[in-house]
Amino acid sequence: MNKLSPADLEKMQKAPNGAPKDWIKVGMGSCGIAAGAEEVYNFFAEEVKKRNLQIDIKKCGCAGSCYAEPLVEVSVSGLPSVVYGTVNKEIATKILEKHVISKMLVNDCIFEVLI
Amino acid sequence: MYNKVILIKDTDLKRQDKTRDFYTHLLDYLRENNLHSEILLVRVADIGVYDKGLVLKMLPDRNTYINVQDTDIKRIVDSILQGKIIEELVFRPKVKQHRIVLRNCGNIDPENIDEYIFSGGYAGLKKVLGELGQQKLIEEIKISGIRGRGGAGYPTWMKWNFAREVESDQKFVICNADEGDPGAYMDRSVLESDPHSVIEGLIIAAFAIGASKGYFYIRAEYPLAVERINKAIKQAYAYGLLGNNILGSSFNLDLEIRLGAGAFVCGEETALISSIEGKRGYPHPRPPYPSVKGLWGKPTVINNVETLANIPAIISKGGKWFAQIGTQTSKGTKVFAVTGKVKNSGLVEIAMGATLREIVMDICGGTLSGKPVKAVQTGGPSGGVIPESLLDTPVDYENLQKLGSIMGSGGMIVMDEDDCMVDIPKFYLGFCVEESCGKCSPCRIGGFQMLGYLKRISEGQGKPEDLAQMRRLSVAMQKASLCGLGQTASNPVVSTLKYFEPEYNEHILNKRCPAGKCSHLVTYSIVGDKCKRCGLCVINCPPKAISGDKEKGFSIAPEKCVKCGRCVDVCKFKAISKD
Repeated sequence: MNKLSPADLEKMQKAPNGAPKDWIKVGMGSCGIAAGAEEVYNFFAEEVKKRNLQIDIKKCGCAGSCYAEPLVEVSVSGLPSVVYGTVNKEIATKILEKHVISKMLVNDCIFEVLI
Repeated sequence: MYNKVILIKDTDLKRQDKTRDFYTHLLDYLRENNLHSEILLVRVADIGVYDKGLVLKMLPDRNTYINVQDTDIKRIVDSILQGKIIEELVFRPKVKQHRIVLRNCGNIDPENIDEYIFSGGYAGLKKVLGELGQQKLIEEIKISGIRGRGGAGYPTWMKWNFAREVESDQKFVICNADEGDPGAYMDRSVLESDPHSVIEGLIIAAFAIGASKGYFYIRAEYPLAVERINKAIKQAYAYGLLGNNILGSSFNLDLEIRLGAGAFVCGEETALISSIEGKRGYPHPRPPYPSVKGLWGKPTVINNVETLANIPAIISKGGKWFAQIGTQTSKGTKVFAVTGKVKNSGLVEIAMGATLREIVMDICGGTLSGKPVKAVQTGGPSGGVIPESLLDTPVDYENLQKLGSIMGSGGMIVMDEDDCMVDIPKFYLGFCVEESCGKCSPCRIGGFQMLGYLKRISEGQGKPEDLAQMRRLSVAMQKASLCGLGQTASNPVVSTLKYFEPEYNEHILNKRCPAGKCSHLVTYSIVGDKCKRCGLCVINCPPKAISGDKEKGFSIAPEKCVKCGRCVDVCKFKAISKD
């Protein structure tokens, strides 16, 4: 990596070109990991490879709703991005099958808490 | 393709959950009108609004409707199709979370510096190095009015200015990440979720005072935070944001991590300095303040994680912007870690001036059990207990101090009526006695004696004159202790004595614990006519103190009972009384 100049920094803050990609973000703070986020993250990573889905699996920190960890945010084109809470493998499967593949939000698992 | 999404949740705590019924009604209506391929209905687990009946939230407009009835279905669907809003149903919350410190938490990958830069990171540093310079930077921080978030609330610009004015060949900056309050973890979360914002804040602080060396003092109990800060520092070095000639300027800074072994007193700045120097973590009398004579005798600025995480945002958006948020004396926002008997525990960042009730009831959804809130404890072991009647106080440094508590680093513990107001200060004081470094006698001996009184009261051996004696001791500790730990250790005791004296008297005079918490004062017994003789308590009693059979009924042998309360938890008929 090269040392940055102020101009480089400015360039990096500009939006990249191209269509926005679909992604799934798993909250991996201490609270999330304690609640099983690592397992969920690995599950997503494996399943996406297995099913050959075009979606990025990312990590992020704690969003603050620690009671609902592990939190998973999903952004798929054509649907508003939503946060799923208390995600386990079972819900993760539903997220992939319903949300990502069939483009339907999963009932009873969304935590829409940030007002 | 769905253009609109409706989220549904019944938030009424008292009734049966009607989410499913309403979902079916609404879905039927949409099917009849052939709209079900345009509007998507989703039942959600939590919608962030509490005790407001059926709540609907429309995406992507994010309008929230509360107390919705079945009869409203038609007009709601019509309004969605027409793109209108039904004013009388709209919910406008009085208090919203305002995220400055937590701006990136949960949004960016903490292990990827590019994501931080893309979200506007290091723009503040660029502005400081390119345009502002030292003088204007400190001026900007002064305008913002930000005060230290570690607890005491000392104006940040003054700290920086003192250190800047002192002539010295070497100066230091330290990030105080030694978060030790029981129940508080906002610093850990920020370090784990957005490490670069803290690093950027620290670089800016170093530039302000002319330091060339900085330390992160993190407790070793935060391995993930240490790992992520470590990674972040390496990335910043690789990008030339640390090291020599930062961003092509003549400014140099090296950062290093020092691990704390977990002593509570090392969060106090003079003890922290001793600890970094490799000595025993003893506090020193001030003055001289660390800004003048700190680490290795050189001018040192020590800032809390949350303070530093605020700095880049202040620089990017301007001090005036920051000064608009909050109250007259306390600007900006504060992150609280809300824990205890609360429905939604977690981090809450609100603008200063929101009331405790809004935080606990509106944002966090009230107590877990649905029982009324009895009190809220803020500021950890140095803070006090605020009773329910005073929950409408706007939160800022001065108001909390007036109530006998402190802002502290931001722990907030919610208590309901099952919490005993003798037991709570006993726990906090016990913590401080354990963590006292023992250097000065008011803290070492005073704390120990006071804990003795509390223990005796909770065991039913207290005397009426004990309360006066505890008050005297607390004054001595506040006035004569060397550092903040001893000076504030008695706060939980003083505040509970102030607001809950009848509860102390109940323990002393009637030998009764109203909350049923102090095990010496509680006897468990089975209420005959409520008992359905299911035998669940017998199976669950750890010391097998419950005997009897399904025909004759059960009884508890007091000499065997260890008062663990397990039988109360498992009994579905509330047939076990504590008195």
